[in-house]
Order: sequence, then C-alpha cells, then structure tokens
Amino acid sequence: MAKQYDVLFRLLLIGDSGVGKTCLLCRFTDNEFHSSHISTIGVDFKMKTIEVDGIKVRIQIWDTAGQERYQTITKQYYRRAQGIFLVYDISSERSYQHIMKWVSDVDEYAPEGVQKILIGNKADEEQKRQVGREQGQQLAKEYGMDFYETSACTNLNIKESFTRLTELVLQAHRKELDGVRTRASNEMALAELEEDESKPEGPANSSKTCWC
Amino acid sequence: MSVANSSHRAALLRVLLILLVAQNLARCQLTPAPVQICHSFHCFGEMCYQEAEFANQIAECEPEEHHCELIQLTTVHYMARCSPRCEGEIGTSYSPCLLANNSAPSPGPCSLQCCSGGPLCLVLSLGHLTIQEDKLVLTPPALVRNQAVQGVLCEGDSRQSRLLGLVRYRPERGVQEHALFLYNHRRMAITGDDVSLDQIVPVSRDFTLEEVFPDGELYILGSDVTVQLDTAELNLIFQLPFGSHTRTFLQEVARACPGFNPETPDPEFLWLSRYKCTEQKPSQRGWNSASGTWPECTRKGEDQPSIGGGGSWGGALLEAVQAGRSERCDEELEGADWEMSAAAGSRERDPAGGSQSDDLRPDGKGLLVDQSFRGQDKPDSLLTRQNKSKSEITDMVRSSTITVSDKAHILSMQKFGLRDTMVKSHLVQKEEDYTYIQNFRFFVGTYNVNGQSPKECLQPWLSHGIQAPDIYCVGFQELDLSKEAFFFHDTPKEEEWFKAVSESLHPDAKYAKVKLIRLVGIMLLLYVKQEHAAHISEVEAETVGTGIMGRMGNKGGVAIRFQFHNTSICVVNSHLAAHTEEYERRNQDYKDICSRMQFCQVDPSLPPLTISKHDVILWLGDLNYRIEELDVEKVKKLIEEKAFHTLYAYDQLKTQVAAKAIFEGFTEGELTFQPTYKYDAGSDEWDTSEKCRAPAWCDRILWKGKNITQLSYQSHMALKTSDHKPVSSVFDIGVKVINEELYRKTLEEIVRSLDKMENANIPSVSLSKREFFFQNVKYMQLQVESFTIHNGQVPCQFEFINKPDEESYCKQWLNANPSRGFLLPDSTIKIELELFVNKTTATKLNSGEDKIEDILVLHLDRGKDYFLSVSGNYLPSCFGSPIHTLCYLKEPILDLPLKAIRELTLMPLQTEDDGSQLKNHMDIPKELWMMVDYLYQNAIQQEDLFQQPGLRSEFEHIRDCLDTGTTDTLSASNHSVAEALLLFLESLPEPVICYSAYHNCLECSGNYTASKQVISTLPTFHKNVFDYLMKFLRELLKNSAKNHLDGNILASIFGSLLLRNPAGHQKLEIAEKKKAQEFIRQFLYNSP
Repeated sequence: MAKQYDVLFRLLLIGDSGVGKTCLLCRFTDNEFHSSHISTIGVDFKMKTIEVDGIKVRIQIWDTAGQERYQTITKQYYRRAQGIFLVYDISSERSYQHIMKWVSDVDEYAPEGVQKILIGNKADEEQKRQVGREQGQQLAKEYGMDFYETSACTNLNIKESFTRLTELVLQAHRKELDGVRTRASNEMALAELEEDESKPEGPANSSKTCWC
Repeated sequence: MSVANSSHRAALLRVLLILLVAQNLARCQLTPAPVQICHSFHCFGEMCYQEAEFANQIAECEPEEHHCELIQLTTVHYMARCSPRCEGEIGTSYSPCLLANNSAPSPGPCSLQCCSGGPLCLVLSLGHLTIQEDKLVLTPPALVRNQAVQGVLCEGDSRQSRLLGLVRYRPERGVQEHALFLYNHRRMAITGDDVSLDQIVPVSRDFTLEEVFPDGELYILGSDVTVQLDTAELNLIFQLPFGSHTRTFLQEVARACPGFNPETPDPEFLWLSRYKCTEQKPSQRGWNSASGTWPECTRKGEDQPSIGGGGSWGGALLEAVQAGRSERCDEELEGADWEMSAAAGSRERDPAGGSQSDDLRPDGKGLLVDQSFRGQDKPDSLLTRQNKSKSEITDMVRSSTITVSDKAHILSMQKFGLRDTMVKSHLVQKEEDYTYIQNFRFFVGTYNVNGQSPKECLQPWLSHGIQAPDIYCVGFQELDLSKEAFFFHDTPKEEEWFKAVSESLHPDAKYAKVKLIRLVGIMLLLYVKQEHAAHISEVEAETVGTGIMGRMGNKGGVAIRFQFHNTSICVVNSHLAAHTEEYERRNQDYKDICSRMQFCQVDPSLPPLTISKHDVILWLGDLNYRIEELDVEKVKKLIEEKAFHTLYAYDQLKTQVAAKAIFEGFTEGELTFQPTYKYDAGSDEWDTSEKCRAPAWCDRILWKGKNITQLSYQSHMALKTSDHKPVSSVFDIGVKVINEELYRKTLEEIVRSLDKMENANIPSVSLSKREFFFQNVKYMQLQVESFTIHNGQVPCQFEFINKPDEESYCKQWLNANPSRGFLLPDSTIKIELELFVNKTTATKLNSGEDKIEDILVLHLDRGKDYFLSVSGNYLPSCFGSPIHTLCYLKEPILDLPLKAIRELTLMPLQTEDDGSQLKNHMDIPKELWMMVDYLYQNAIQQEDLFQQPGLRSEFEHIRDCLDTGTTDTLSASNHSVAEALLLFLESLPEPVICYSAYHNCLECSGNYTASKQVISTLPTFHKNVFDYLMKFLRELLKNSAKNHLDGNILASIFGSLLLRNPAGHQKLEIAEKKKAQEFIRQFLYNSP
C-alpha cells in the first residue's frame, strides 16, 4: 500500500489581532466556527493531512498571537515556516494597512523562499466592508502574492486557500519533491504479474508472459 | 552489583527523568539565620532516589517551609522537596515527611522501597533528609546529555570524520570526571553498529579544547569552527560544524574541565582503564553476569567493534550528533526542513532505548559496573535483584496497554510508520463501507500426472463445457519422478506442462500468468483474465516439503496467495503421504503445511501471513486419502452401480474431516464422479498391475470462505496420460470490490479522524491567569503572584523558555517557581511568580532603564507556547541609588517625579569637584546621615552592633521612612538600623571607594599617607561619605568598652562594603580581603 503521506511542512498564520486567524485554522482543521473572539496569547498549532497533486502532505499550521506587544516574540517563529498566510479583516481598514508592516517583518525574519499568500477574511460581513476586493487584489499583486477573500464563518475559500499555499510550497520545493514523486509512483505500480523472483534462472521464465 | 545495577538502570532508562532544579532566589537575608535546606529532586524510576546524582541536590527552603518530605507518587515516581506541612500525615500513603529542624524523624507509613531489610534508604541527620551513602547507586559513566558532535579530524592533509562524545562519570558524591570519547564511524552512522571507539581523551587538568583561527584565513561567519585539542600527550585539530550545537558542545566541554581549584582532587580516571586496556580478550556476550565481578581487562574486545551495538548509548550518541546535524541543516536550508517520512523513520528509536533519559551509558550493553562497587555485592543478592528488575520490566511492558490516546500520543512524535499502520487497520475495519461483493468465476483443477509428459490436449479438463473463468488455479502432482528433479529441483516437465496448460485455457478470453510455483513434482499455476490483472496484488508463493525426513519435496505442498480486488485468496496444492494405512501421516502432512506455510508481507514489520489468514482458501491436490474397509471388488462393484454415496462413507478424507482431524471449516462438494485412481495408463481400466490398488478418490478440491458457490465438481475420464484422472471444480466466488469514490471518502474520513485525534492529543493546558500586575514594588520586598496550570488530557512537560537572545526565561528580578515540571492528565500545578528587587536590579529600575515589564513564554513539550505578561510599577528607593544622585535629592526620593529621579540617576559621576554645576546639593546623602545619626544617638553603646541581624519587617519600615522622609517616626531596633546601613552601602551601584580606586587602595594598604592620598582623589561626594563614616566608626570605637567593638571587627565588616572588587561577585581571595581590612583599619586608628 502506498504511503499515506509523503511530506510535512509548516504554515504560519499572521496578521493583526482579531482578523480571524484562529477561526481560519479551526474551520480548516476541525470544520468548526466560534464567533466569539478569544485572543490567542501565545503560539498554537494544529496538524492536517491533505492531498495535493497526488502527494499526501502533512501540514502543521501555526497560529500566532496578533497583539502588537507579543510581536517581538512571535517573529521568532517565522524562520521555521515554509509558507505564511498574511491575514487582514475586510471590515478593518487598519488591519489592511498593517499588512505592509507584516510583510516587512516576514522579509526580515522568515527564511528566503518562503511562500506567502494574502487573505482578506470575514468576507461574509459585506455590510461592514472597509477594504474593497480590488484593494486586496492590488496589494497582493504588488507583493506578487496570491489573494483570497475568505470567510471562516461561511466556510468560503478556506480549503482553497490552504490548498493553494500548500501547492505553492510544494512547487517551491520542486527539486526535493521529484524524489518523493518517483518513489510514490513506484509504490503505486501495478502488481507484478509475470515475475517469479524466486527462480529467475528457470527456463519457464524465459517466456515471461503468456497471453493465451 | 553489575547486573542488578545495569538492569535497574535499564529500567530507569525506560522512564522519563525530570529534575526539578531548585531555583531559589539568591536572596539577601536580613537574618543570616541557618537556612533551612532539604533534598530536592524529582525522579522517575524504581528507587531512582538512590542515584548518586540526587545525593547532593539540596535546595534552600522558603521561610515558611519547615519540613522536608519525600513523596512517592507512584511506584516509580518520587519527589523530595521542602514543604510547609507534611501531607503524608493526613493518613495517606505518602511517606516519610520530616520536620526539618527536629532531630526526631517522624516517618509516615513506609510505603517507600525500603532498602533490603535495613533501615529506610532515606534517613534524617543533621536536620535534613539525606540518603544513606552506602545505599547510593552511583551513576555510571554516561554521555552528557546531547553532548556529541560530528567533526573532522585534520592530520596534515588527511581529513577523517569522527564523532566526539563527552562522557561524564561520578565516582563519588560531588566528584565528577569527564573524558572525550572519539569514535570512528561508517557511512552516515545510522545505528550503534556503525560506530567504533577510536580513542579516549581524559579531560584532565592539562586538557584544553579551544577554538583556533587558522593563520592567513579570513574568518567567515558560518564557516566550520576549527578547534585544537591539547593535552600533555596529544595535539589534535578538529573542524566542527558551525552552529549553536557545536557552541553548546564546546561550552559543555569547557565546563567539564577540572580547572585549577586546589581543593578539588586531581581526576584519576580509574574508570577509563577498562577502555584503555590494550589486551584483547575474546568477546563474550553476557560474560560472567552471574559472578558480578569486573575483570580487569575485558572490554576492549567488545567495545571496539560494537560500542553501542544495539544498545542505547550508540543511539544516543548518534541522536545527539543528528540533533546537531539537523540543526545545521535548518540553518543552511533556512528552515526548509523537509521531514521525509523515511528519514524520520530511521531516526526513530525505541522509546525504551533511553532516548529520553538524562544520562546514557557509554557501553551500550546495559552491563556496566562502577569500579568502586566491585565485589561489594554478593552474587546471590545480585541475582535476586536482577530477577526482580527483569520481572518489573515485564510488568511495565504488560501494563502499558496502548489506548487510543496513547497511540495518538506517539503519533504526535511523528511516528510516520505507525500512522500508516493505523490508517490501514481503520481501512480494514471500515471495509464494508467502501466495497461491494462481485462474483468472479474460478476454475480449480488438480492432476497427478505420474511423471508423464503432456501427450494430449488438456482442453477437455480445462475449458470444455464452461464459460471462460476469470481465474485459473491449476495444480499438478508427480510432475517429474526422476532423481534429477528430486535432487536438483530442475525439470523440463515444468515448461512442458506449463505450455500445455497455457494452450488449453479457455479460448474465449486472454489470460496472464500470475505465478508459477513448484516443489519437485508439485506445481501450481495461477492465471488471471487479462482485464483483471490490474486488480491482482501482493502475490506471494511458498512451498513446504513434508516428504523424506519430513522436509523433502517429494511430498508436501505449494501455495500462492494474492489479493484480488480487496479479497485475500490463498490457493494450496498438496501431495500428501501415500498408502492406505498412512492416513495419520497424511493428517500430519496437512497440519505441517498449515503451520509451516508462511508468506512474507509487504510491510516487513508485520508478522508473516499463514494460510488461515485469508478470506478465501482453495485447497486442491492429490490428498491420497483412500477407501477403507472394503475389498477391491466390492469397491469396484459400488462404482459400477454408481453408488458413490455409499462408497463415500468409507472415504478416509470424509471420516478424518468428520473427526475434525483435518480441514476444519473447509467444505467439499458432493462426489458425483468415480474415483480418480488408479487406472492403467492410457485407458479407463482400473489398475491391473500386481499391486492391484483399490480405486480411491485421491484427487480432491476443498474450499473455505464466505460467498463461495461451487458450480461443478467432476473428474475428466477423457484424459488418459496418467494413472490418475484430472479433477476440476468451477466456483463463483464473491470478491470484495472497491468503490473508488467511497474508498476515497472513507480514507479521507479516517485521515481526518486521525488528524483530529492527533490534534486532540497535542498537549494543552489552561492557565488561571495570564496577566500579572505587581503594584508598588519596593526594594527588597518580595511580591508573589500565583496562577495555576491545569493540564488537559495529555501528559505534558512544561517549561518557561528563554526568549531569543536572552539568557534567562525572565528578567533578573523575576522568578517562576517551579519553572518547569511534568503534569499528568487533568492535574494542576500552582506556579508562583516571585518578584524581588535586589541591589543588582534596583539601580536600573530607579533610573527607568529597566521597567517592571516582561513576557514569559510557557512552553509545552511538543505543544503550544503560552505568553504571560508581567507588568507593574517600581517605587524608587535610596537603596540602589548612586551617592551623588542622593546628594542632589533634597526631597525624599518618593516625593520627586520619576523623571527627575531618572535624570539624576543617569547623571554621570563627576571626579572633579564641580558640584558648582548644580547648586543646592548636600555633602552626603541625607539618608546616610539619618541612619548614622540614629545610631549615633541611640546605639553608640549597643553591644554587638553590626554583628546581630536585624528584622526584615523593621528594615521595610526603615526603608519606607528614608524614602518618604519620615525619619522622625522611625522606631526600630538598633540592629535593624545598623543592618540597613550596611545594606545601603552594599547596594550602592558605585561603592564608596570607587571601583577605579580599588586596586590603588589595596596597593597602598599599610601606608597611611599614601592611603589618604588615594582617598583624596575620590569624587567629592564619595570622599565626604568615606570621611563621615570613618568618623562615625571612630566614635564607636571610643565606646568599645560598652559595645565590645574593636577595629578588626569594624574593618572586616566595612572593608568588604567600602572596597568592592570591580570584577564583581567573585569570591575575594583571602589576601585581598586582608588588604582591604587593613586599609580601613588605618583610618580607624589614625585621625586625619
């Protein structure tokens, strides 16, 4: 039987306090949503196995405290990530403005080649919207990132965005991946039909297959 | 001793060892009363408290803790600590709790491991709990935790890789010796077998390991670290990988160096002799384990080839090295740490192998003796102890039933392999959810060909009158009766019959050969219709000989097992023992085939499969069971009458199956054809030879399993080549076919539930409080805020961890108690955050350079991190403020705005007398004047002034009076004021005699004129203070008849306060101390 998954890596959720990082994570891993806001004071993580491109990927998703006073500490977690979600709240212009600061932190502390994706969360709160969709797209374009508007509440684009970032990380590690691929395809090879390994020298094996 | 000790140690290695490091505040105590001390440790393991390493772990107790107690939490979990009360007294099973200052022990019920027959292993003496020394189990040489690196040994142009491990040995209490073990290793060194000892370098007094910078080479950040190892005999150069792992290793080695303290004895390294010995003795595993003696010279032979072979230490060494390696990798790849499952797998080790133990032994055998213990134990006691330990180990293994949560617990350690297995087993459990039953047609045939070659077309047997089957299982017996076939296993008949069969398969379909297996004359062929080929997997074939000597292949069986869609199928072709009377032999052959036929599984870690472990078993062959109790003529007559049913009653197979001797659970179709044995070859005539065998149903087909329908069971008279007739049976077999859609769904569900389980088993706790505010913190006044950690359902280890670039997990004025620990599921622990500002931290808090602000990171091992924020306000105090600052403070310090205090505190110390810059200063700090004046008024004749301790509560009052300027209300004992004065001097950031003048003072000590000259160079305020104090002391001496003070006492008290070594808190050498005293003494007896 083929392996159930082949690679493991870390994704990190960052963004202002209250933009819904924990909710995104809960929705993705447990398919749960709690509307009450409890500040994450610390760093939490959850595991999830997904299949991308035929490869079973185990992702460890780190959820960080968004409050400013903890940022000197949370920055130290960046270097262990291969992919980063930059999250803002579409109903908070301020959280959108802060993305620039978050990006510069990422540039400073995250490893080179880290994959980033921009998330405008709370897309269900259309009536409170302060940040236009095109603003998000514009910002994402500037930084060369993919962009999703998501809603943990209505489960909009949750799986898509996590899968997309995972794909990006996989692509970025294409080289290492090729090794994994080869192995995976070998494992999935069909049953050996004609081979009789125990007696390779037997004359009967000269005509390996008999398509009668 | 050796064996008992080692197996005991082995048991210890299985359990987690946590040491609670007593981290008491180094508190200035007003009352230098004898400090309460108790043993303090936390250990896991059978009688772990006996380990030498715990023998001198003594902690100072808090003031309210008057007891020492030892608690046995479980049979393998002990804790000793200071305690405010004896919990054991409340009728629990806890044992001995001792009132520390009371000489009478009050042991509770003895539920501890009492040392064999003797008194308690723990005894009370000198007011605290001690462990009887002769009961101690000395810690054998062990690899210092994680201290091993892989390096390159450079000799001239040669570069060779070596593993360097730092090994520690504690021959007795409080003594430890270290040696550096250098190992050769093969390839990447995956297991202990890849490693062999090269040489040992004792860390002796002349040992140095220092970083060197090769000449003419630019130092490049991140490049390898070159170190030079020097001893009297050796000079080696190593290159070690850049990174913190190497850094810690070097620090650890530096710490291991014995240094030049004359008080500690020279290390003797007796324990190394066994490794150094050059004489080689033949290696014997388990040598003299019963005798318990340690031969002078044995280990070389064993250690050399296989240090750590299969044992824990080699693994630990490698693990330590790998930890470093992966860390380096992290840095190089900038965090792109791909944890491939295979790589992780190779790093996994048996958790019992000691990966979690603190110290690991360097022999890896679990057979190691401390030399000091040699011969102390009698062999018999050894044996009993050894046996005991062993049985306990088994108990532990047995009792460790793996529950679901345990599994997930292990999973979170990224045991990828286990996760795979769990997914598999869930898939099997839920098979019905994603499979449906579909019928496939199986053709099963058996033919004893009596050594003949195929002479006729086999189609009448294999394909006449039936639909094209999906699968063909065709078995032959007596394929070749020649000696060549028997002895050389080689026969042309195999190819002949294979061809004959292949050509006679059903013409309506195309077939692929799946497998051919042959044991001498017993051959089995498996074909599948082309379109089903993709659904055949895990094909394995095996043979079992039961012939001559019970092993040879003239009789026996061959079998092919495979997976068809999701159903496992095993086809067996057997040729059992011949002759009518030998039915017992046939039964035995059957049983042998069943027990000895074993198929390898794809996953080598799984046990091999047997025939019975298949969904469908098809058993065919010349089973050789005969018809008994009837004479030949009677049999032939019944056959002629086609009275097969009557005849069947005499069939041995029928009677043996009915007696449940064989083929339990198998079914055979009704025999509606005449016996298939024995005919004259080339005819349908019964045997006419001399032997004139009675006809018998030798050739049979049976089956076992669900959803199997037999469509036909017949012989084929048309074939005349052999003295047997071939038999065939066609079945419809219901096979479990996977619905891909449902399968994916089920798999996803399983993966999701495993993820969920895994997430639920990430350690998680709840904290009763996360923000702490300390209001109005005062100098030297302890404030405690506490909170509780409530653990969830997963046992966890917690620890406050350092923030990056910080040396400690919190600021100097803060302490968490305990700062690390272990929590069982659903248990709670109270953590106290203790805030205490002392002389080293006060100045910066006064100046505002530091604030009562900190964030603590509480880390759960393998789990999340919690941030705790600490804040508060500090009330500035004259204690910890510089002399010149205080001279400018005309108001009480607490009446001034913080900003003013800040500015004045940060104001640089002026050496010139330029006090004119700022008018309105005082000559000396008013607080100093107040204290001295108070003493002058009240205590000039006080006996033992400065020698009796004051009271803490009074000190707080004095401090508040000074800081608020309410000295008129001051009422305190003379001793308290005197001590406050000493504390004031001690907490000055710059001592009265400035650091810069320290060495000058010592030099001219004894020369009064020169001494006065030095004093005159001090900054004015400091000089004033000095003069003022000396004047006061001289006044005191005038009353020496009453107060019993003399110059020596005062000089020794004030010498160390006024003259402080700029290097800091190092212990002053006696000579230096004496000089300082002498310096002060001069001023006590000479007026200026």
